Amino acid sequence: MKRNIHNLEKISNELRFDVVDMIYKSKDGHPGPSLGIGDLMTALYFSEMNIDPKDPYKPDRDRFILSKGHACPVVYAALAKLGYFSSELLPTLRTCDSILQGHPCMKNTVGIDMTTGSLGNGVAIGTGMEIARQRMNGKWYTFVITGDGELNEGVIWEAALAAVHNKCENLMVFVDFNNHQSGGHTDEVSGINPIAEKWLAFRWHVQEINGHDYNQIFAAIDAAKEEKGRPSVIVCKTVKGKGVSYMEDNNAWHKGVPSTEQWEIAKKELLGGFV
Amino acid sequence: MNYSGTREAFAAALMELCEIDRKYQIVSADSAKAARVTDLIEKYPECYVEVGIAEQCAVDVAAGLASVGMVPFVATYCGFITMRACEQIRTFVAYPGLNVKLVGLNAGMLGGEREGVTHQFYEDIGILRSMPDITIVCPSDDTQTFLATKAIAKVNGPCYMRIGSNREPRIFNDEIPDFELGKIRILKEYGNDVVIFTYGFIMDRAIKAIEILKDMGIGASLVEVHTLRPLDVEGISAVLKRCGKAITYEDHYINGALGSAVSEIIAENCPAKLVRIALTEFPESGTPDELMKKYHIDTDDIIKAATLLCNN
Repeated sequence: MKRNIHNLEKISNELRFDVVDMIYKSKDGHPGPSLGIGDLMTALYFSEMNIDPKDPYKPDRDRFILSKGHACPVVYAALAKLGYFSSELLPTLRTCDSILQGHPCMKNTVGIDMTTGSLGNGVAIGTGMEIARQRMNGKWYTFVITGDGELNEGVIWEAALAAVHNKCENLMVFVDFNNHQSGGHTDEVSGINPIAEKWLAFRWHVQEINGHDYNQIFAAIDAAKEEKGRPSVIVCKTVKGKGVSYMEDNNAWHKGVPSTEQWEIAKKELLGGFV
Repeated sequence: MNYSGTREAFAAALMELCEIDRKYQIVSADSAKAARVTDLIEKYPECYVEVGIAEQCAVDVAAGLASVGMVPFVATYCGFITMRACEQIRTFVAYPGLNVKLVGLNAGMLGGEREGVTHQFYEDIGILRSMPDITIVCPSDDTQTFLATKAIAKVNGPCYMRIGSNREPRIFNDEIPDFELGKIRILKEYGNDVVIFTYGFIMDRAIKAIEILKDMGIGASLVEVHTLRPLDVEGISAVLKRCGKAITYEDHYINGALGSAVSEIIAENCPAKLVRIALTEFPESGTPDELMKKYHIDTDDIIKAATLLCNN
């Protein structure tokens, strides 16, 4: 499939600015984790996934689960840009009466396929969705993004076994491998590395890529789709806070609200080249 | 309808559901044998999902299945569902309101009996009552379990059914009444001296107690509260008003389940005297009769409580 990568890079920067802007205006949220998966989200929502904002619940749509639910500002930005709801709602993030909960809620927000936020559960829920697809003879894919710190959770590995046992070939898991978790560097906090080897031991189809390189992202998705009879994991090396200089690889921005000056810097860095 | 126990009755009802529609699924945490669904999965392998000994994964997988229109029943030991996978139930089933059915096997002290505390579960109803939006039922024998399974299948939302371990005596032999979700059932009405509210697989002991009380000159009513949510507040209040004295009797820890629910109704709606008969400590391994006697949830304890209430 031919993809317009230049256009995707532009979209991803716009999404990233929407993330910074909504957190700046609503005064709460997780910018670093959201920016880090900006390119994965763009690749999925603006090129790869079979979805239709005009028919958001169509049964044969591809499903998406943000297992690391705290990165939802970038999902909200993508859904708004696609027209699931008005982008004017983005600054209502985390405020009372908003459809945009602090973590994704499938009942509140059109376009969200699964409620998430409590870490570790996305792979298991995706396994259920994929088993349902098999039983219904559907053609769709279930895409899951997990964090690397999130892999500490035991239920991830329960699901890693169950997904292989149930031959979940249309389940694709992206690990947002940024080497940070809430409390610090993954090596210091939990020692989750090496990651790819663990999935290999669980008999998954495993690829390792740069999660900001669209050519690598799409090549990996294509290869994962070629693989039959077992699920795929794509370990994506990413930079937490990607795209905003002062947030990049800086875990202080796991959660935080930019000042007006920081908001202006982000705007210039993210939109400056395209306006 | 003749089943050797509540688990067989559940399996038979689910078999009928699967015959009608393959959207019904049994999710097993290596619990298919314990849930007595081995015949079902042989006949309908397309209705069987196995995740291994992984209850959190089982509930998550069920949430995923339900989110695309299947109706999964997760059946395993009741404590492993309600405690090990408690957060998955709360966040991924109850909060999004997904159509997942949870079936807790071997419930209560009687359900675990000789296995000991690790396999005796008397917290399940209290745990689930502490979170919104889950229907909670506990039928009292195999015939009712069959009907309760069909009843929760009709609810479009999260449900929990507590069942036993195949040591449950048959309560309904001749006429088998319907299982009407959300309604109490008055089983015996010998008078309004005291009402005994109960549910589950100790019903035979309550029936025995009320007969003895009758012989002692105490006219009691026996009310089955098989649906703990939605609770029949109106029905319970009406009986409380008539009797003014009540006993709750259950194979559950004393806080959180029926005793608490009736206390809430008494406090909010309808003043009455109440004695709660339930577990007050961790028990131990033993036979059902030994355990019920030692931990004071036996027929004699009902008689003592009723006598005390009626003589003061």
